[in-house]
Amino acid sequence: MRSGQSSRSCRFLDAFTVLARWVLGAVFLYMGINKALHPVEFLKLVRQYDITQDVLVLNSIAAVLPWFETFCGLLLPVGVAVRGTALTLAMILAPLTLLVLHRALLLQAAQNIPFCTVNFDCGCGVGKEFICRKLLLNLVLFVLCLWLLTGRGRQFSLRFSLLKPLLP
Amino acid sequence: MANCGCIVGSILREAALVAAIGVAFAFVGNQISPRGLALARNYFPTGITNMVRAVVGADSLAGALGINSTTSSLAQQLAAQMRQNGLQLIARREAVQLFYDSHLKNNAIVFIDARNESQYQEAHIPGAYEFDPYHPETSFPTVLPVCRTAEKIVIYCSGGNCDDSESAALLLRDVGIANGKIFVYGGGITEWTNNGLPVETGARNIGNTQSLNQ
Repeated sequence: MRSGQSSRSCRFLDAFTVLARWVLGAVFLYMGINKALHPVEFLKLVRQYDITQDVLVLNSIAAVLPWFETFCGLLLPVGVAVRGTALTLAMILAPLTLLVLHRALLLQAAQNIPFCTVNFDCGCGVGKEFICRKLLLNLVLFVLCLWLLTGRGRQFSLRFSLLKPLLP
Repeated sequence: MANCGCIVGSILREAALVAAIGVAFAFVGNQISPRGLALARNYFPTGITNMVRAVVGADSLAGALGINSTTSSLAQQLAAQMRQNGLQLIARREAVQLFYDSHLKNNAIVFIDARNESQYQEAHIPGAYEFDPYHPETSFPTVLPVCRTAEKIVIYCSGGNCDDSESAALLLRDVGIANGKIFVYGGGITEWTNNGLPVETGARNIGNTQSLNQ
């Protein structure tokens, strides 16, 4: 009886993880392609963060990020290098979310308005959005990335671990 | 415990591999994309760090919320930045005067829209030429001869946090258009339409003119 329940909950977790993989992949594909289709607009949005004074670095960030997101967004649904991709995305999401938060705090301070009413295009590929909603979305994406590191949900994956002999 | 460390190490190695292949994929993607960025090109002749931007980002927010507290400081900063770059800023009143000037018809006065193609098609000041400063090569053949013969050139973009009109003005100046006849309309299409002034949709001079704020 207990074994039946445990196997049911395992199946549920596996199904949830596969779904999380697909959702994450779809979100990053959508955001990546959106930016890759409008690189100049994305470049202008990256510029607003004042992260560099160097033309080459600024252009490289704006040129690489959309395609990189698209690449990771492709790997997740097809199930290639899932944990490595999830970790890479988590490591990108964290600093980018901090940058968005910093920008939002600057805007809030400039206008002296409640934090959650700050509404701007952060260059995330979804247009203008209220900051609290954006932060919540990023948090959910980050948690899902971490969840994928558990190694569950290997169904429908082409090559779950790229380094097959080393990863269980 | 050792197995756990081994798994973590393997995930890190896999992540590094994904990152390396991903970056390579991204550079190739950008290279083969017809819209890809030229990595060495300076897309912002006004400077990567733009002193107006911080205020302006806040200003567009204020606009969305119906607050007008930063508008005057924004206008001052914009004017200061233009002066610093040797450009002349004009207000709506002057832009409207030039628009209704009879010289507009014989191209002695020309309006230049410094936004992208889709924004231009959506609505532009009637008779304005399209000139996207991020893709100048596509517009130069049409715009340059007109600018060379014009007596006054009015350049605008969206207004607010947009400094594309300034970029366009600097590009035109760089290719030899006299600085004295270049004017930047800072309020841009947003201020223009908000005041019920006429706009044209689609291509230039096809006669599809209307007022968006009626």
